[in-house]
Amino acid sequence: MSTTRLKRKLGDLGIDPASKRANESFCLIGTPLPPLEKSKDTGEFVPLWKQEVRDEKGRRRLHGAFTGGFSAGYFNSVGSKEGWAPSTFVSSRSDRAKNRAARPEDFMDEEDLAEIRADQNLVDEHEEMDLLGGTQAEMSKRGQVDDGEKDAITMALEQSLLPAPKDSMGARILKKMGWRLGQGIGPRVTWRQHEIQYGRNPGADSMEVDEEAKKHMYPSRDTPLLIVDRKDNFHGLGYEPGLGLHASLGAQGSDGSGGNKGPKLAGGFGLGALNDADEDDLDVYDSSNAHERNRTAYDASDMYDDERIVMGTTRRNPPVGRNSAKAQPPPRPALARGAFRDGKPPVEGFIVSDKPVAEDLVFPIPDVPPGWTPNPRRVWEQEKLKEGDKENLSTGQPPYIPSQPQTHAQWKTGISADQRGAVLGETPLAAGPRSIFEYISKKDQERIKDAAAGRFGPPSTPDSVPQASSTSVPTLPHTEVHVAQAALRGFQPFTSDPAKQARYTAYLHAHADPASGATIPARLSDQDAEAFAKEMRDYAKAAALFRPISGAMAGRFTSAAVLDLGPKIVEGLHTPTAEAEWDGEREQMDVDEVKVETKEEDPKVHAARVGMYGPLTREVKPWQPARLLCKRFGVKDPNPEVAAEKPMPSTSSAPAEFTTDSAASGAVSVALSTSGAGGARNGKRDLENIGLGEDDGQGDDVLTYERPAMDVFKAIFASDDEDSDVDMDGGDHVEGKEQRQETPTPASPAPAKQVDVVPSTSTVIPQPKPSVVSEVVDLTSFKPTFIPRDSKSKKAKGGESEAKDKKDKKKKGSTKTALVSFNLDEDGAESLSLSVSQQKRRDRDRDRPKKKKRKDKEGRADDDEEDMWVEKPPPDIVKGLPANIPPDDTSDSAEIRQEDTGLPRGRKRAIDFM
Amino acid sequence: MAPSRGPQPLARTLHATLANHRGPVHVVRYAKGSAKYVLSGGQDRTVRLWNPELGTEIKTFAAHGYEVLSISVSHDNASFASSGGDRSVFVWDVTAGVTTRRLAGHMSKVNVVELNDNATVLASGSYDSTVRLWDLRAQSRAPIQILEEAGDAVQTLHVDSTSIISGSVDGHVRTYDLRKGELRSDFIGQPVTSVVPSQDGTTLLVATLDSHVRLFDMTSGKLLNDFTDHSQTSYRCRACFGHAEATVVCGDEDGRVWAWDLVDATALQPKPPPKVHDKVITWTEHHPSDPGEMITASADGTVKVWRHPKSTG
Repeated sequence: MSTTRLKRKLGDLGIDPASKRANESFCLIGTPLPPLEKSKDTGEFVPLWKQEVRDEKGRRRLHGAFTGGFSAGYFNSVGSKEGWAPSTFVSSRSDRAKNRAARPEDFMDEEDLAEIRADQNLVDEHEEMDLLGGTQAEMSKRGQVDDGEKDAITMALEQSLLPAPKDSMGARILKKMGWRLGQGIGPRVTWRQHEIQYGRNPGADSMEVDEEAKKHMYPSRDTPLLIVDRKDNFHGLGYEPGLGLHASLGAQGSDGSGGNKGPKLAGGFGLGALNDADEDDLDVYDSSNAHERNRTAYDASDMYDDERIVMGTTRRNPPVGRNSAKAQPPPRPALARGAFRDGKPPVEGFIVSDKPVAEDLVFPIPDVPPGWTPNPRRVWEQEKLKEGDKENLSTGQPPYIPSQPQTHAQWKTGISADQRGAVLGETPLAAGPRSIFEYISKKDQERIKDAAAGRFGPPSTPDSVPQASSTSVPTLPHTEVHVAQAALRGFQPFTSDPAKQARYTAYLHAHADPASGATIPARLSDQDAEAFAKEMRDYAKAAALFRPISGAMAGRFTSAAVLDLGPKIVEGLHTPTAEAEWDGEREQMDVDEVKVETKEEDPKVHAARVGMYGPLTREVKPWQPARLLCKRFGVKDPNPEVAAEKPMPSTSSAPAEFTTDSAASGAVSVALSTSGAGGARNGKRDLENIGLGEDDGQGDDVLTYERPAMDVFKAIFASDDEDSDVDMDGGDHVEGKEQRQETPTPASPAPAKQVDVVPSTSTVIPQPKPSVVSEVVDLTSFKPTFIPRDSKSKKAKGGESEAKDKKDKKKKGSTKTALVSFNLDEDGAESLSLSVSQQKRRDRDRDRPKKKKRKDKEGRADDDEEDMWVEKPPPDIVKGLPANIPPDDTSDSAEIRQEDTGLPRGRKRAIDFM
Repeated sequence: MAPSRGPQPLARTLHATLANHRGPVHVVRYAKGSAKYVLSGGQDRTVRLWNPELGTEIKTFAAHGYEVLSISVSHDNASFASSGGDRSVFVWDVTAGVTTRRLAGHMSKVNVVELNDNATVLASGSYDSTVRLWDLRAQSRAPIQILEEAGDAVQTLHVDSTSIISGSVDGHVRTYDLRKGELRSDFIGQPVTSVVPSQDGTTLLVATLDSHVRLFDMTSGKLLNDFTDHSQTSYRCRACFGHAEATVVCGDEDGRVWAWDLVDATALQPKPPPKVHDKVITWTEHHPSDPGEMITASADGTVKVWRHPKSTG
């Protein structure tokens, strides 16, 4: 329909609705298809479960730190859907033989294997280059073969003759330099040297020497490499496998030194199993194998020092480097020098000194006189005697040294220049101005001092200061009257020390009321003037400090300390003093409250202490059990009507004069009693109090607003026949109401508060509250009907006098609502309700019957709203109550007030049977 | 049975010791009806069901996370309620041994729990100084009503058909009368540890922490009798009536069980009673029907069943 209209409109505008442009759609329906070519966006978001880790070859790689690691990722698990699963356990019990130990290669993939192969290749090259089989593999190979058929000679032959399968680079270079296998490395040597190298004496004629041989140069002797065996077993040091215990331990004793090959090692620390025995570790005292301790390649060298061959230099003899130093043995001491006088040789490595040992000079100890006993006290006394009378003056002591031990801090800081000066009796230098005050004129200083004194509490008057300076006796501080008074009420600082507290209180009393003749506490016998003054100063300070918060703030705080701290505080609180700076009335109220409290509390506690249990200790309060509780207990609800009439608020200042059951109690007496009570209460209210804390009717205003009585609604809404029904029910009420009007209340409840909205009400005697015909309508049958207001009023006017009365009541009710006070409307929201709210109320009231019906159906779900209804108290309770209920009672929650009302109602509602 | 007209002496012969609890036993209650069984709850977070005749444990109810401070058995013995340090009240099915309800709402540990006569309402008094009344019929877990009048921890409760009596550490015994719709607060002056009304509902036995057990007239709040000599200053100990309410029985903190003549308030012989428990006695309860049986629970971890020697024979 709308589209046709739109089309028509467009047509009117001159747009062709059939044109393509007019039909262009800007709506997209559905999800667009993905683009045909895959996006190259590598950074696009991929959900976690779609992310894959791939290596450079494009294969999925496993999680983990190593390629081919076996950590199983949850998402990128090992290629399979299930992910990596540990191999199931297979027992090797039955097939132990089949189970071979897993090698690392079993877990390697081809890459790893290739890597390993490459590594092995490198190792092989090294092994090839190793001429003499120095590598570990070669050694083990040799060791394995060693024990077999080959003896040492064949091995040596093999070693020397068998060429390496492939010459290493070093060997090739050596060969190019003329080196041959089996020759030593180095320059060629003469025959003589050659002979020496081979340990033969060239000068000896034992064998015939070929002359020709002497003319040639010879390669140096091939020195086999010193190969130190690596210790790769777990045997102890020096242990050789295959040796028995005895052979390895003390075999020397039996078979000589045959088993002992190496040098003896000194026992001690630090020589690990894998450490080679160093020179230092050799046992220097081991003389048995001193001859074996020769570490040169061949023994002959020490005999022919001059003929030593040193590679790379032609210089002979100079001992170069460590080798030569090692090789050079220490000068052997001559045998004559090397023996003690008794012919004993010294320990190997030591020589006997030529010089005699110098003896120390020793003085003989003085002779102790016979009979001497050590007695230092005697010496001290002798000294004292010598000093004589000088001692008392203690002049010997320097005056500035403190007699008592110094503290560490004192000792550390030493004495200051000032101290030293004072000690020495110097006149102190004129000190420079120290503070800004020095630069201020005298007048300004005074002014500042005054200001500061006024600011920081006036505990001590300034005139006491010069007194203190003039007289040696320190003057006592003075506390201002109001400070002392306030401090009396405030926190009591010395409660832990009752005696001090008493003195403090006496001090405060003396200052708080100088006219009373109370004096400050006297000085104690064991107190000197200083201490006393200090105490008084403390008190003054405390009084200035512990003043309670003054004024309006004080009422807001309740100090726990004040309550807890025993009788002193109570005493202080009891002292009523009128002060200008305090809100007099408020304070009066506070004091009154306190008095009431203590008066109420005391007899109870006292009675309990004495054991006079009974009415004194008993306190009866109304209590409203929950309806459900009553139901569960099978008990009739004690005040059932409370629940039923909950939406109708009422006042408690003059609670419900007119009730349905006038049969139970005379309406007159009720009215009288309540009006009397109301009058007594109302006497307290005046204009100044309204809305303030002293306004004990304050809470009442919350409930002063009255929902107009049901017959008002009837007058408005109900048809005439229903109205007559009501009249039959509520006949008593009319009576009661008339009576009520005949007895004027002595004082209007809050005349000042009333704003005359409807002028006609001024003629009516002001009533504490409009009469409430609270309950006459059978709610189950009552149906509100809406009648226009003008017709309603006409109808009311045209009705009987009763209807007029009702109208009056309604007006009165409306005047009530116009109170200038804080009103709580039904919602509990606080609002300053003036006549503006009337209209609203009325509207709300019109809705009320409906609501009520609904609520009745809902039953007891909304207890809170029930509380809004305040029921008329039963007469006996009213009589029993004192005329002026304490203000806190009235301002209490509505629940309590509603509980005042225990009057059974004659009429039952449907709700009662629920 | 005894020809003398004086009150029957207290059962002082140990019949059985129920000692499976580890740690103090806080409460022991007889079952309802013929009271053949006993339920006890203790610091070990369990509630145990015993046969006092044989002295054997029948069942252990373990769901509490904290100590069990109170037990109340329903009228039909089919369920019971227990409460304790875990701030909620557990309602148990006795046969199944499981909790059927856990009523949470208290702000701190629940000192006492009481069921009403037909186990439709459960009252629980807590350290948070409230008494909460729970509906056991409806499914709602919210309390029916919260009684917040107490100024301090509620230590004891008694629920009868028309009233709820609570005793609090603030020294008040509060009687919530449902029929009258009023609350009667009796100031005792000392922390109240137990409140036991007599059968006829006219007198009230109140034990307080000043080592007194007092008997009050419930209607006027007047003191009828004062029983003392024992020592009770810091632990909750329940006092109870002896058989036929002729005596008053209370344990004390030395482990003695005291008994007084109800009328003349004199302690029955033996005057300093023998010390029967090693530690403070936390609960005494007399058998509801058997004249010669009584149980006591103590912080020494035992529950002892006492009988007259002749009544056993």
